[in-house]
Amino acid sequence: MEKTLAELRLLFAHLPAAASRSLLALGLSSRKNLCVHPQASAAAARDSVDTACRRLTASWVRDRAASDPDSTPLCDFFESFDRAAAAGDLASYMPPGVYTLADLRALGRDRGICPYFLARQMVKYANVVVYSYQYLIDPKVASIVSREMQKECVVVFDEAHNIDNVCIEALSVSIRKQTLEGAERNLRRISQEIDRFKATDANRLRAEYNRLVDGLAQRGNLPISDAWLANPALPEDILKEAVPGNIRRAEHFLAVLRRLVRFLDGRLETENVENEMPVAFVASIHSQAGIDQKMLRFCYDRLHSLMLTLEITDTDEFMHIQTICDFATLIGTYTRGFSIIIEPYDERMPDIRDPVIQLSCHDASLAIQPVFERFQTVVITSGTLSPIDLYPRLLNFNPVISRSFTMSLTRDCICPMVLTRGSDQLPVSTKFDMRSDPGVVRNYGRLLLEMASAVPDGIVCFFVSYSYMDGIVNSWNEMGILQDIMQHKLVFIETPDVVETTLALDNYRKACDCGRGAIFFSVARGKVAEGIDFDRHYGRLVIMFGVPFQYTLSRILLARLEYLRETFQIKEGDFLTFDALRQAAQCVGRVIRSKADYGMMIFADKRYSRHDKRSKLPGWILSHLHDAHLNLSTDMALHIAREFLRRMAQPYDKTGSGGNKTLLTEEDLQNMAQDAMEM
Amino acid sequence: MYGVGGGGGGFNAPYTASARRRNHEDDEEEEEEEESGEGRVLEAWERAYADDRSWEALQEDESGLLRPIDTKTLVHAQYRRRLLLRSAASAAARIQKGLIRYLYIVIDLSRAASEMDYRPSRMAVVAKYAEVFIREFFDQNPLSHVGIVTMKDGISHRLTEIGGSPESQIKALMGKLECSGESSLQNALELVHGYLDQVPSYGHKEVLFLYSALNTCDPGDIMETIAKCKKSKIRCSVIGLAAEIFICKYLCEETGGSYTVALDESHFKELLLEHAPPPPAIAEYAAANLIKMGFPQRGAEDLISICSCHKKIKSGAEGYICPRCKVNVCELPTECRTCGLTLVSSPHLARSYHHLFPVQPFDEVSSVHPNRLGQKGGQKCYGCQQSFINPDSQSSLHVRCPKCNQHFCLDCDIYIHESLHNCPGCESQRSSS
Repeated sequence: MEKTLAELRLLFAHLPAAASRSLLALGLSSRKNLCVHPQASAAAARDSVDTACRRLTASWVRDRAASDPDSTPLCDFFESFDRAAAAGDLASYMPPGVYTLADLRALGRDRGICPYFLARQMVKYANVVVYSYQYLIDPKVASIVSREMQKECVVVFDEAHNIDNVCIEALSVSIRKQTLEGAERNLRRISQEIDRFKATDANRLRAEYNRLVDGLAQRGNLPISDAWLANPALPEDILKEAVPGNIRRAEHFLAVLRRLVRFLDGRLETENVENEMPVAFVASIHSQAGIDQKMLRFCYDRLHSLMLTLEITDTDEFMHIQTICDFATLIGTYTRGFSIIIEPYDERMPDIRDPVIQLSCHDASLAIQPVFERFQTVVITSGTLSPIDLYPRLLNFNPVISRSFTMSLTRDCICPMVLTRGSDQLPVSTKFDMRSDPGVVRNYGRLLLEMASAVPDGIVCFFVSYSYMDGIVNSWNEMGILQDIMQHKLVFIETPDVVETTLALDNYRKACDCGRGAIFFSVARGKVAEGIDFDRHYGRLVIMFGVPFQYTLSRILLARLEYLRETFQIKEGDFLTFDALRQAAQCVGRVIRSKADYGMMIFADKRYSRHDKRSKLPGWILSHLHDAHLNLSTDMALHIAREFLRRMAQPYDKTGSGGNKTLLTEEDLQNMAQDAMEM
Repeated sequence: MYGVGGGGGGFNAPYTASARRRNHEDDEEEEEEEESGEGRVLEAWERAYADDRSWEALQEDESGLLRPIDTKTLVHAQYRRRLLLRSAASAAARIQKGLIRYLYIVIDLSRAASEMDYRPSRMAVVAKYAEVFIREFFDQNPLSHVGIVTMKDGISHRLTEIGGSPESQIKALMGKLECSGESSLQNALELVHGYLDQVPSYGHKEVLFLYSALNTCDPGDIMETIAKCKKSKIRCSVIGLAAEIFICKYLCEETGGSYTVALDESHFKELLLEHAPPPPAIAEYAAANLIKMGFPQRGAEDLISICSCHKKIKSGAEGYICPRCKVNVCELPTECRTCGLTLVSSPHLARSYHHLFPVQPFDEVSSVHPNRLGQKGGQKCYGCQQSFINPDSQSSLHVRCPKCNQHFCLDCDIYIHESLHNCPGCESQRSSS
């Protein structure tokens, strides 16, 4: 996001002054990233920052502060925002230009105004808004943040190779034991609050009841600081009618929720894996807990209304009951494209009981559909959308234009290789029956060792999973290969812990900078594979150990595959290969970020040399993947690597010469325009 | 270069042998040339596979046939590029050049230097061309000084003191060729910085790394050391043998040196020899000041004295007498041990002179239709009087001096620019007029 805005700023610099002076571009993120309040921003988690903010800015808190200014603390930044918004001169706080998150924070500190709410408000006036997918796809957030966007907006999903997964996640909920326990706690607290209100301010509850009888939508006229996560179901699926009578009273609603939680608790007790469709699940809720579908559908809205009535600000405490209500609303609303999977334990660790109820969405097109309908132009783009024809099928739309561009490179600065054999000519693969073979492990280790001695600065390795990485690094350690590697380069490892990984990355960069050289072990589908660039000397070589298939025994995946086959006629194998190859392409694509850069990519698995796998790699990799680089052994790869690195170290002409001209002069552009006119 | 050229010829032989009968006439000339040329060359299949990479002298043409590379034009093209590059750098005619250079050659003898991708090993190749370089360096920079530092086992060690004689340097280098351990850029920089800091201000301080390793194992923060070198105006250049390393690139950019990576042995030699001509002096580095120099005379035949360098009795004819303190020194240029006067001979100064006034690069002319000129034989090279028309009637590329409009062949072009440093055409014009 920061990167996009920084590039945008560069672009603005090239525009004529008159044009760039009237453009406003800004990034939008959560309070966690934007808050400048000294106490609130100190909180560690996103939810706790949100809560801290609400405590200082909720409308009732401010009302109370108006009557009793000494005992209730307020956020000065928000107050000045509120004054400016009331006076209608927000724009004076934000002259046109490009604002990254850091700029917004600096602006907020300088002018003493809340950057989060300022950005939220300025989204209406901005020409370019950069934010995460969730703000548009996840109905819970989208209906609050992106409500103001007009139909004529152009929506660009950048790096959209994983867009189907984002869509699915937006509509999936999982409930664990802790969630249910937390929900019980929440319910107790809510009932206490209700009792308290009954004793002190019974009118509020009655007013709420009356409002519900009238069927008023309670959102829309809320102050901006009270807006909470919206309905998890898609906008057009939300019923526009009054809340059913039997959950209008707060006590009744609480009783319903209690029954629901108890029902779910009972289902979690199961010893077997269960897989149910929403219809059957709703029916069993109806018969066992006496809650019908309509009540389920309204759970979310009813809870939200209740929380506002009870003036509850610490929303992070209530995440659990919120999750339960999301779940209820989703199963009440949708009958197709979902399934409910109850697993008593994780497949991979059958000894540890960790029951979970997962409501998983299988149809990526559900969440993206409103976006297609709402906006006139939607662009989906990424470096690794391949095969490109699968995306329209997954997302269920008809592309107006679908185009795949080649890279215009001044020189052959990427060198993909498919390595199928070790130096002893035995095949290498992470196929399930081969991966623990000591020969394969040793060959992979030798490969890395040889490469570490021939490649300068940084090397990035991607493994198929954390458990595989742990296993193979352990074996290398026992074989002594790791020690040999450490003689050439330092080794850093990605862990599931974000802080630890960030630290490792920092040190990795430091080691590359000072010339010691380093290797980073990472996992496909991990955080590093998605978001971190290893450009220039930070990544001269990336090795993909194995094909990063999803865990194929996962129930959710199986259910999704079945759904895809039945609904979109996509074969299981095709989808799995597609998914694995886009991950692999994503991993290796980390290494090259500009034309002046260069890097090598090694796909180390014999399965990559098969045509069905290879052909699914994106075009810009395939076009550089020569036939001679397809079926290599370690020593051949080493030779190619040495040659390549020497060739790339030569000075080169940036403008390009002869056929591959990549830097166009003004004259060239005019010629091109003329050609186009003639055509 | 020999290996490449020889390989090409060697490959041709079997081809012509098999095709002899079919196109007899065409090949006649070629055959004759080969058989009569410089004795008996080993055939391709007779030579050892390992030390002769005959395949590297081949290239594919459009139809996929193998052709030997035309090495002569290739070599010349490379030379032209280099020449133009150099003259472009000094295009503004009067560029100040650092003629008095203090250069440390840092040779990497870490584990990586024993790799065999250069034959027989990186270390041997480096040593071989370091010798060539040192000779060439003193040839071009008679007023300069060289010292050698080696890196191994994580530490660096000064092999020879900085001095003005090529022989002692080469001798010391050849005796110390074994490699082990890691290399440390920082240690080497610190060491060299310590020595070069004492150099007089008119001298140009330079370090040239011949770097085999792909990493550096440093005891501290190398960035500080680089900043220190930058502050003391030490120009650091690196020639890598394997691949581009970020820290080396950074070092060179910071200190104003050049960073290059060798493709193969011949390219390495080329890159190394590029460091022989003096680099343009950077304005802030070059404070213009006068240097006191002595021009000692060769001692008289009958004079016997003790030389100050070796403490040996020598007859005067073997040494020079310092004009200020009359002490005997063995070789020039040097600094007098007794009074510290810089001692040079006038030919040394004269030889440095051409760097300031280089011969202009010649324009390339390709006469496409030599026969149109009328008489057979056509034009002749002004330098060697040979006809431009090649016997194998390939491209007859030649060059022309932009000043005197005389034409020269490619060999003479190289000779004039690399060794003679005077254009015969211009010189003879001057003398005649």
